[in-house]
Amino acid sequence: MTAEDFGILFLTLRVAALATLLILPFGIACGWFLSRSRGSLRTVAETVLSLPLVLPPTAVGLLLLQALRRSGPVGSLLGRAGIEVLFTPAAVVLACAVMSFPFLVRFARTAFEEVDPRLLSMARTLGDSPSGAFRRVALPLAWRGILAGTLLAFSRALGEFGATILVAGNIPGRTQTLALAIFQRTHIGQDAAAMRLVGLTVVIAFAAVLATEVLTSRRARRIAT
Amino acid sequence: MIALDVRLDLPRFTLQVESDLNAPGVAVLGPSGSGKTSLLESIAGLRPRARGRVILDGVALQDDAKGVRLPPEARRIGYVPQDALLFPHLDVAGNVRFGLRRDARRGAFDEIIEILQIAPLLRRHPAAISGGERQRVALARALAAEPRLLLLDEPLAALDVELKERIVPYLLRVRDALHVPFLYVTHNAGEAAAVAGEALLLRDGAVVGEGPVESVLAAMAAGRVDPGARYENVLAGELEPRAAGTETAIFHAGAATLVVPAPADERIAGRTVFSVAPEDILVSSAPPERVSARNRLLGRVLSAREDEDGTWLRVEAEGFPWTVRLTRAAEEELALTRESPVWLTIKAHSFRRLS
Repeated sequence: MTAEDFGILFLTLRVAALATLLILPFGIACGWFLSRSRGSLRTVAETVLSLPLVLPPTAVGLLLLQALRRSGPVGSLLGRAGIEVLFTPAAVVLACAVMSFPFLVRFARTAFEEVDPRLLSMARTLGDSPSGAFRRVALPLAWRGILAGTLLAFSRALGEFGATILVAGNIPGRTQTLALAIFQRTHIGQDAAAMRLVGLTVVIAFAAVLATEVLTSRRARRIAT
Repeated sequence: MIALDVRLDLPRFTLQVESDLNAPGVAVLGPSGSGKTSLLESIAGLRPRARGRVILDGVALQDDAKGVRLPPEARRIGYVPQDALLFPHLDVAGNVRFGLRRDARRGAFDEIIEILQIAPLLRRHPAAISGGERQRVALARALAAEPRLLLLDEPLAALDVELKERIVPYLLRVRDALHVPFLYVTHNAGEAAAVAGEALLLRDGAVVGEGPVESVLAAMAAGRVDPGARYENVLAGELEPRAAGTETAIFHAGAATLVVPAPADERIAGRTVFSVAPEDILVSSAPPERVSARNRLLGRVLSAREDEDGTWLRVEAEGFPWTVRLTRAAEEELALTRESPVWLTIKAHSFRRLS
């Protein structure tokens, strides 16, 4: 392991963690509202939110690129505020956030759907406002599923490649994450160096997915009893 | 106390209750699926489609004509549903504390724990306690929020629950110690008489009986309204302290002096309620001799009515109108008519203590 390897590892962990933190409040909110809504609006919202799961990541990356360029809708606003996102670490965070968002929403929605709505009514008769009932009943009952979704979103962010390379490029020390570095090293024939990074990703991904599994299976057992 | 004018469309019928209830305790009676639970939920503000008026002690909780509709958290109505609905992520203490108001006076929590006798359960989780215990915890949780009115829904399963598991004795303690008025949905007529002053009888969403609990129950037993619930003879009176070495005790109810099973706890005496089922009373047209049963009462027949369950006699004895159930064959053999003198024979152990 070289200092460069560790640099890439820490950059990757940092952007994945930031991306996960960024989507956490929105993911919980979307999951909550989807779990409480019915009808065609919900179906449409679910479909749109799931698009990043099925679209090629490069397609999502290109859409982001169009939106964030100086002449794009979001990029022009940010440019006026003096903020440049494209080809910065912030672009990596954004790409990872968009790609991992559906995982978090799906897990949060399922977790909230398992909360008996009558328990929320009960909290209301005991003096809680709707937000109080959410905070004191829905969240504590759904936290395991939300945490599992958060871990899975984090794992997805760690491996993000296609969208990232389009909006953030592959700049060593700045936007080059593990996935991008593996690609580059393989490309220039440094297979052994690439394999070291592969080893790192396997360890991290294994830990994150294992934690998700433990969380979801315990939840299943608790519901069964 | 509470004035209701509630309308709610349900799948099978429309719930429509217009009623002025004044007793501190009101029993809500009626067959399963007659709208009792929907009524409670409408009062608590949990049915957004319920229309009309709910006025509690002169305060409008809901008055759609005036655009008033308080959300459930502003109504201060405690609700104990059939399945208790304890919060599964909290232990018993956490459940009770959930409703505790920020400005609760000191000792309120301990007092509620004491009244409902749940101190040994505080650290347990809802899944690890019995159904009766869950009901008590749900009642404690509702009380911690200092409600102005309590709504209790008796679990259907409670029909078979043993006396010590039942919520009624605790409800009486709550009524006497905390003075919270309540509506109590029950399927047990005897318990209704023991705890309530008034009764509301529902069928298919409509009020078919209303008034003092005894008269509603009497009307039910006389078949003037569909019973759907079990009828029992309920007697309130004074229990003498148990004498040493006996398994029975003397119970004075009105003019009657009855022999009843002595409570296991010797301290129980004084104001007590007992019930006896109509089928546990024997009827004879001549004085019964040398029978083992401890209670023999001379009375006269007030009325007789037949239905698919047999013959229901109303017998006045010792100043109390007893309801007795006979088979049709037995009734024919006795050849009873109005004003016939009859002897009622009741075993001491046919009496059940309700409170």
